[in-house]
Amino acid sequence: MIDVELRAKRDALEYLWRQGLSGKDLIHRHSQLIDDYLVSCFVNCPAAKEGISLVALGGYGRKELFPYSDIDLLLLHTPEAENRLEAVTQALFYPLWDAGLEVGHGVRTLNACLDDARQDFFFQVALLDARHLAGSETLFTSLQQTFHEDLIAGHRQEFLQNMMQHRNERHQRYGRHSYQLEPHIKESRGGFRDIQAMTWVSHALFGLHDLRDIEEAGLISPQEREAFVLASDSLIKTRNRLHYLSGRKNDQLFFEHQEEMAKAFKYYDTPGALGVERFMQDLYRHLQTIANITDLFFEHVDETLGAPRANPIEQAIEPGITVRQDRLHLTDQALIEKRPYLLMRLFSHAGKTGLDIHHRSKKIVTTNLHLVDDRLRHSKRMAKAFFDVLENAKDVLAVLSVMLDTGLLTAYLPEFEQIRALAQHDVYHVFTVDRHLLQTVAELRKLSFSQTQAPFVGVESPHVLALAALLHDIGKGHHEDHSQLGSKLAAGIGKRLGLTEAETACLSFLVEKHLFLTVTALRRDLEDDEFLRQCAKQIQTPDRLTMLYLLSIADAKATGPTAWTAWKDALLLEISLKISHLLEREDTILPNKSQGAEWMLEQVRNLMGKMAISDYEILPEEYMLSFSPEEVAHHLKLRTELKNAKHALTESTEHGLFWSILVIAQDSTGLLAKICGTLALHGLNVASAQIFTWEDGTVVDVLNVQPAAEQTYATQDWQALDNDLNLALKNRLGLSHRLVDKFRTAFRGPNQKNMQTAPRVAIDNSASKQYTIIEIFANDRPGLLYEITRTLADFEINIHQAKISSDSDQAVYVFYTIDGFATKINDPFFQQEISQALLHVAEN
Amino acid sequence: MKKIEAIIKPFKLDEVKDALNDMGIKGMTISEVKGYGRQKGHKEIYRGAEYIVDFIPKVKIEIIVEAAMVEAVVTKIRETANTGKIGDGKIFVLPVEEVVRVRTGETGKEAI
Repeated sequence: MIDVELRAKRDALEYLWRQGLSGKDLIHRHSQLIDDYLVSCFVNCPAAKEGISLVALGGYGRKELFPYSDIDLLLLHTPEAENRLEAVTQALFYPLWDAGLEVGHGVRTLNACLDDARQDFFFQVALLDARHLAGSETLFTSLQQTFHEDLIAGHRQEFLQNMMQHRNERHQRYGRHSYQLEPHIKESRGGFRDIQAMTWVSHALFGLHDLRDIEEAGLISPQEREAFVLASDSLIKTRNRLHYLSGRKNDQLFFEHQEEMAKAFKYYDTPGALGVERFMQDLYRHLQTIANITDLFFEHVDETLGAPRANPIEQAIEPGITVRQDRLHLTDQALIEKRPYLLMRLFSHAGKTGLDIHHRSKKIVTTNLHLVDDRLRHSKRMAKAFFDVLENAKDVLAVLSVMLDTGLLTAYLPEFEQIRALAQHDVYHVFTVDRHLLQTVAELRKLSFSQTQAPFVGVESPHVLALAALLHDIGKGHHEDHSQLGSKLAAGIGKRLGLTEAETACLSFLVEKHLFLTVTALRRDLEDDEFLRQCAKQIQTPDRLTMLYLLSIADAKATGPTAWTAWKDALLLEISLKISHLLEREDTILPNKSQGAEWMLEQVRNLMGKMAISDYEILPEEYMLSFSPEEVAHHLKLRTELKNAKHALTESTEHGLFWSILVIAQDSTGLLAKICGTLALHGLNVASAQIFTWEDGTVVDVLNVQPAAEQTYATQDWQALDNDLNLALKNRLGLSHRLVDKFRTAFRGPNQKNMQTAPRVAIDNSASKQYTIIEIFANDRPGLLYEITRTLADFEINIHQAKISSDSDQAVYVFYTIDGFATKINDPFFQQEISQALLHVAEN
Repeated sequence: MKKIEAIIKPFKLDEVKDALNDMGIKGMTISEVKGYGRQKGHKEIYRGAEYIVDFIPKVKIEIIVEAAMVEAVVTKIRETANTGKIGDGKIFVLPVEEVVRVRTGETGKEAI
């Protein structure tokens, strides 16, 4: 009936727990209770005499017995005591089994123990925690001595490597998606096993018995010890409750337990976050604390005991930062205080070189976080290094993770604190918000390397997009809608980090609209043209569409294994392509369109002020609707200049990926051809062109061009371009032969022939009300645009708009045209003639 | 008993689900599917490059109802999922031999 007594005692313990006995007190009391019971059993057993020793192992050996943990026991005996064992085991173990306890037991001689310990690393580690309960003390002492002499001493390096290998394998196994949502508080990263791994190693290798010893030995700092104790105490309480709640040995925090635990620990729902989410946030933070401290501990010990690293050469990268044995080091505390942006530079070097940051330097970052003040948060140097990480780090996830773990990221972007380790209580969001944000940056990087997303690649400001990926959920955990709030927070951050006004606006737009495409693709009719036009209006530019598209995919991929499917991919691609077509046709979404030409005229009059002119009626409506009032006023001023100067005027602007060139000139035959020819001569490829002729014969052309390789906006000789254009317009420059000369080598490329497909010309009168659209598909070559436009000029065809896109060698030229009488080209014979002429040009 | 399979446009899912709930239909299986019928895949050209959208994303709803309910349910789905444009989807009605509820072992009408 002895098991009844045991049960009663354990029930009493649970009662005490309900009365408030918690944490370490509970697990110690539990161990004591079992100790008392086992000792009395042993003493009362007549067979348990000399030659037998009862030993507690593992968690029980450490006096850390959680409510339903295994009770690991070892019955150590001399070979002579063999015949009395059965009686002893019956007396000791049977009542435990009857009481429903999980007992792990071994009956071994000293030699068998040592043999087993050699074979089985887990048993070896369990022996580290061995504690004598009853019976022969000499037997127990000799086990301890021989164990340390035979297995530990002289094998320290091996022991450490085994421990680290097991730790890594465990982290991988318990780091999978399902354990992210429902963490295993014993085996997951930062769980009890990590705590034990640290104590085992300290104990076995350095003879250190508790945290204070470890601190005094300089393996952890006083701050780390405090944080560690706080976190581990909290984990102990959680695990006690989890055992009682589950009614069995269960160490995984399943969803249903999470809610109950949160309530029991008095976490209540608040606007913006559920109680259970706050509870899990605290739990994840504790796990992270343990993980960080034990990581650094193992790096430190490994360095002390491990084999010397391959590359002993010390190399200074910049003052205060050095590479030593393939690790990055901060070397100068005084310099850090003088130039605190070195903290961020350390990470930008880590990103660039792909090297790890030495554990001591990570600690230096953490102890210097007080230097990250408001001034540093506005520092240009700091921002530059930070963007360098976002854009260029080889393994951006790893570098940002260390930045988060050391606390630098939250110190630099305090907005991050709110979402640090914030959990979302559903099966969809696998990662905590902070990790999800880092993952998104990493997924975005992968996208920019992959070819599958080909229609939307290349954005003007990749750094803005990367920052948007890092910030898109920054508004979570508040009452307010997270996209709206996030957009406000992001605007503040953008400004602080020194983005231009336009970039900040773009960042804020991306954060606000990061769900727009996904939600719209799933919930709206993609054939509703009016709705799509609204979308296009909101998105405004193709570049923004590309950014949103990439951000949507990266966000979904970083959310969890179910969030991104080929099905969603198809829907997202469809809506993005549809919106992109609308964005390409600027006329449908230009903001001033609705306000009409009248309104425009009014604005222009106001802007012109004293320079007012009388002949506004020369401005065609189509023209008025294509520019902003400021641009029209500017063009009018340039016209005055044009009349005085008697030669064409050019102006260029840089727009990131492309440059735009404004040409104001007097109309003349073949004007566009001459412009295109001159641009080609200067190595500029025309991507699109808008051509307007005022009724007084002033021509306003806007050409978007892309430079050939090796040219930058600054090195481009704009004055020479202006001179050549004016020579060409005065018919003093032989464009044809110059172009042939310039591109002579390009014409005779070795592989060109293989890739050629037959050119094609299509003339379409149905797509546009006013214009005949001529499309030419041809193998691109320098100067082709010049010849095509010259051919059209020969036919006295007026080109109103041109769009040119080239994909590898195949180019598509699209012209919106009218004939010399300002009507569409309807005559089939004339159409045929134009086609033939153009094909002739394209084939040559 | 009949099984009703409806292939509809994704954005119509919520409406159809609500309409069926209002009719007292409590259970359904929903899956994301891709396919094409008369609304063939199409070619998109963007910045000069072609993208072929060969299968079109749709949502499939599966419901088991008593034979007497079939007409009402089909009509409701048709009305709700209809936009009048090509690609609105299709509804199939299939005979069902038996239904068993795994937990209790109930069969037939009781198990729906």
